[in-house]
Amino acid sequence: MAGAVSALFLLDIKGRVLVWRDYRGDVSAVQAERFFTKLIEKEADPESHSPVVHDDGVAYMFIQHNNVFLLTAARQNCNAASILLFLHRVVDVFKHYFEELEEESLRDNFVVVYELLDEMMDFGYPQYTEAKILSEFIKTDAYRMEVTQRPPMAVTNAVSWRSEGIRYKKNEVFLDVVESVNILVNSNGQIIRSDVVGALKMRTYLSGMPECKLGLNDRVLLEAQGRATKGKAIDLDDIKFHQCVRLARFENDRTISFIPPDGAFDLMTYRLSTQVKPLIWVEAQVEKHSRSRIELMVKARSQFKERSTATNVEIEVPVPADSTNPNIRTSMGSAAYAPENDALVWKIKSFPGGKEYMCRAEFSLPSITAEEGAPEKKAPIRVKFEIPYFTVSGIQVRYLKIIEKSGYQALPWVRYITMAGEYELRLI
Amino acid sequence: MAPPVSATKSPSPSQPSGKSEVSDLKLQLRQLAGSRAPGADDAKRDLFKRVISCMTVGIDVSPAFSEMVMCSATSDVVLKKMCYLYVGNYARCNPDLALLTINFLQKDCHDQDPTIRGLALRSLCSLRVQNLVEYLVAPLVVGLKDHSSYVRTVAAIGVLKLYHISATTCHDSDFPAALKALMLSDPDAQVVANCLYSLLEIWTQEAGHSEEAAREIETLYGKPIIYYFLNRIRDFSEWAQCLLLDLVSKYIPADNNEIFDMMNLLEDRLQHANGAVVLATIKVFLHLTMSMTDVHQQVVYERIKAPLLTLVGAGSPEQSYAVLCHLHILVMRAPMLFSSDYKHFYCQFSDPSYVKKLKLEMLTAIANESNTYEIVTELCEYAGNVDVPIARESIRAVGKIALQQYDVNAIVDRLLQFLEMEKDYVTAETLVLVKDLLRKYPQWSHDCIAVVGNISSNSIQEPEAKAALIWMLGEYSQDMMDAPYVLESLVENWEEEHSPEVRLHLLTAVMKCFFKRAPETQKALGAALAAGLADSHQDVHDRALFYYRLLQYDVAVAERVVNPPKQAVSVFADTQSSEIKDRIFDEFNSLSIVYQKPSYMFTDKEHRGPFEFAEDLSNLAIGGDSGDDAIRSAQRYQENDKDLLLSTSDKEENGGPTRNGSNSSTYSAPSDINSSLSALAPSSTSHTVAFAIDDLLGLGVPDAPILPLPPALSLNSKPVLDPGTFQKKWGQLTVSSSQESTLSIQGVASLTAPQSLIRHMQNNSIQCIASGGHPPNYKFFFFAQKEGSSSFFLVECIVNTASAKAQIKIKSDDASASDAFASIFQSALSNFGSL
Repeated sequence: MAGAVSALFLLDIKGRVLVWRDYRGDVSAVQAERFFTKLIEKEADPESHSPVVHDDGVAYMFIQHNNVFLLTAARQNCNAASILLFLHRVVDVFKHYFEELEEESLRDNFVVVYELLDEMMDFGYPQYTEAKILSEFIKTDAYRMEVTQRPPMAVTNAVSWRSEGIRYKKNEVFLDVVESVNILVNSNGQIIRSDVVGALKMRTYLSGMPECKLGLNDRVLLEAQGRATKGKAIDLDDIKFHQCVRLARFENDRTISFIPPDGAFDLMTYRLSTQVKPLIWVEAQVEKHSRSRIELMVKARSQFKERSTATNVEIEVPVPADSTNPNIRTSMGSAAYAPENDALVWKIKSFPGGKEYMCRAEFSLPSITAEEGAPEKKAPIRVKFEIPYFTVSGIQVRYLKIIEKSGYQALPWVRYITMAGEYELRLI
Repeated sequence: MAPPVSATKSPSPSQPSGKSEVSDLKLQLRQLAGSRAPGADDAKRDLFKRVISCMTVGIDVSPAFSEMVMCSATSDVVLKKMCYLYVGNYARCNPDLALLTINFLQKDCHDQDPTIRGLALRSLCSLRVQNLVEYLVAPLVVGLKDHSSYVRTVAAIGVLKLYHISATTCHDSDFPAALKALMLSDPDAQVVANCLYSLLEIWTQEAGHSEEAAREIETLYGKPIIYYFLNRIRDFSEWAQCLLLDLVSKYIPADNNEIFDMMNLLEDRLQHANGAVVLATIKVFLHLTMSMTDVHQQVVYERIKAPLLTLVGAGSPEQSYAVLCHLHILVMRAPMLFSSDYKHFYCQFSDPSYVKKLKLEMLTAIANESNTYEIVTELCEYAGNVDVPIARESIRAVGKIALQQYDVNAIVDRLLQFLEMEKDYVTAETLVLVKDLLRKYPQWSHDCIAVVGNISSNSIQEPEAKAALIWMLGEYSQDMMDAPYVLESLVENWEEEHSPEVRLHLLTAVMKCFFKRAPETQKALGAALAAGLADSHQDVHDRALFYYRLLQYDVAVAERVVNPPKQAVSVFADTQSSEIKDRIFDEFNSLSIVYQKPSYMFTDKEHRGPFEFAEDLSNLAIGGDSGDDAIRSAQRYQENDKDLLLSTSDKEENGGPTRNGSNSSTYSAPSDINSSLSALAPSSTSHTVAFAIDDLLGLGVPDAPILPLPPALSLNSKPVLDPGTFQKKWGQLTVSSSQESTLSIQGVASLTAPQSLIRHMQNNSIQCIASGGHPPNYKFFFFAQKEGSSSFFLVECIVNTASAKAQIKIKSDDASASDAFASIFQSALSNFGSL
């Protein structure tokens, strides 16, 4: 069976216990703290050890968020994947309560932290991790908490993610279609990997128990309905839905129907593994003139239709460590040397489709290299951008219907945006 | 928050200084305790908050216990919550004071507010004080029947807490039965889930010694309950769904139609946003199709592929890590599955190194004819990576792919290019790989030697790489012009060589070189033998002496021993037996996958159910009606056993050359000796092997049959052996006796559950370490110990009640006594049921 967790710790960056909840009494704080501080001391970089470590019969699983470690200790053989995921949910819940999860916010809110830890896990078994539900019986500000408490509605409700009796003056739904492009180009300029991860992010401000229905230009659905599918329909590879979506219904006739939770949530995520043309192509030429001077020439080209425009473009080109005296010129935007990242960062506020811009930079190198045999850094060029009103996949929301028994009219707002995800070009 | 924390913390000036603070708090609390003033509650909240803060930063505020309890008589929920927290924290260290709290907690369990009832009940159950157990029962009974589902969820877990404090109280009040009833009738999904958590834990703990609990567990895995859950699964929270799916994965459907129905029902779970649910569903699919044909398994693999790949890419690095571990084990079973998706496992620059490492493993595992070129090209990119450990790993990965024999030509070229990169760690890793490659593909020696010959032995520091270079110098001395001189200079620096491993290799290499180019090497050999004889390391000394005497005796014989003609190694030994791999696979979706170890290797005894060790027996149960199934699986185990043996002897043959490159002499040894050799587990240096052969021929072999059997064998009535050691021994020892025995009719009749036979055997001083199975097939692992000796007897016993037959396999540390033990075991078995 899936094992239970013995205790949950929140630790500071040095591995000292800030708060902990002892669920089963078989792992002590001293034991965990001793182990974890040793682990951190041994490896300066917490990323270098895996998130699951075994020590003296106890399995420690941890994640890091800002300057806080969340750590579980378990003596049973528990489900690693789900515990790690659970910890991320804990982070989400804390973020909902304290805006940001960090050492300071924990120290200020010990009492609420304890209450939350108690409700999210009982005797080592995960219970409720939805901030929306938890906030019904754990209020943020303990001082203003009403004395007359209702029993937590959602807990007794058939629709666990939404409580009854929600009222808005203006009923609105915002739907953002966000696609992030992951791309990896090797040093010969070949695309070796590309995929698109999309999400339908929703913010609902709706009264009552609204029934929603979403129509997409999904090829399978359109074909099933016998409609023309020329060019406009899309294939989605692997779709995942928020728990509110009636999955059986989707399996049967591909309709996406649901009663949404209140507030922000991800309705659906999908992945497209078809080859995508890099939306922004970057080339860099490096010339070492002598041992002490290096010249970079960076070309960036937008490879999407002219009617779209990329915004907040940021191109990070690696340069040798300890470069000095930067001399930078750009044909558009501004570029600066970021010594902390050993990179040249070139920012372009607005980058229309079908354009090409240039950036030249010159650096002095230290005449004496730090250490012989120190490995040369081989970081890739990394690009960030956003292209509003555009999706790579061509996904379209055909309709979003909202029906509630009181019969109000709700306004759906739909936006599309494409962004760079892991966008790496190994061109140097 | 517990007092001991303060010990490890350095007092900082910003923190309250402890003692005076506590007494101050006490005073203020006392003043407020009886106050009915309007602002009293607010003042109390402030104070309570300070107390909690002190407690959290590690100051012992337990002296204020009675004041806190006095103040707790309030209707304010916030105050109550903080008070519960305080009480829960200190009750265990102050059991006497805890008694004070019982009263108000019990009262709160009858509060009109369900939140307070729930919280009070949870606090009451979390006190963990032995002598307060009696006060728990009544509130729990009421709590389980509460009309608020919140209170029932708390009560359901509360029963489990009670069980951990006092199992007998839990049973005396008949809580398991109540939970079961609640589980099957409650409308609230979370209550049901919590009941299931509790029941599973209680019954799994007891299944080892209670037939009733074992039976209850069986009913949980039975059709009615499984179907009850399956039909409601959508009502449950995501975490509870994981639990249910885990339960479902233990269910054995009657036929293929049922399997397909279940998979159709659960298919939509693969689209759940929670990765844990997806993984749990995948586990169910894998287990359901375990008994089906390969074709079906392929279909299922195809279906689960996309969700898994999404989980790897999206989400947090920690999740990718956990999912990659699972993917890895799937890939080991079906490498073809992901062969076209290899690009998903290319490393991103920003991936943390633990993810990169797993991705490299994945790339190695899925390489085949069609994708090797691309994968190796990608891996070569990483070789120049900033991250040195990852660079090393990628070079190793290239080597492993080469050893999998795809497109070796291109890979060898790449490896040789690595040597030209002139980075120390790259060269070191590559040398080791080139050595392994040459052992497998001697035909490449020409190309490799040309490059390796250019490497200066001075530039290599790592012992393993140096040893590899020296091995190549010795092995290919006829092709390397300056081999004798390089070796000579290495011998001159004998004193500076710290690693005995390298010195051993040097000795052997000089010997080999001597046989091929005697005039040039003679001086070096003399120096090496002299240095070796004076060496302080025992192995080095012994080997030098051995070589010296061998040469003195006959140079031709010496050459036959040290440098015989070798066969290329075809397959390198696998480090894990297939039995272990199967067991890990059975524990899919748990830590076992991450550690790549079955759970008994890393959990304490009290933290796992007795079933876990025997979980692989679920194979036995699949389609358990036909008798020949048992035989088939019995054969499977036999094959596994042979595998184990093979792999150990393989290791000796293949592992030897890594160290001295000349161990192939065991190839010429007669095969029967060879197997007894592996039982002796000799060290792998060639001379010890040779001596061992002598030994066997001279003494061991004729002696063994003459040894008279000890007249009576008495067994230790209370032997101790932990499962880990059992497993190790089982792997090491050979089967000394394999028999079939018949059970009496009474015996068959009493064998309704494994426990009955286990108890019977215990009376005969034979202990059971693991058991499992379903009618009519049971499987047991027994062990016993010889009285007054440390030698153990290990038994695998497969009972088929339909045919009343038992197959027994005995392994023993003391092979001479195993016949005597076998007869004891046989008679014990045949007595079973006759009482």
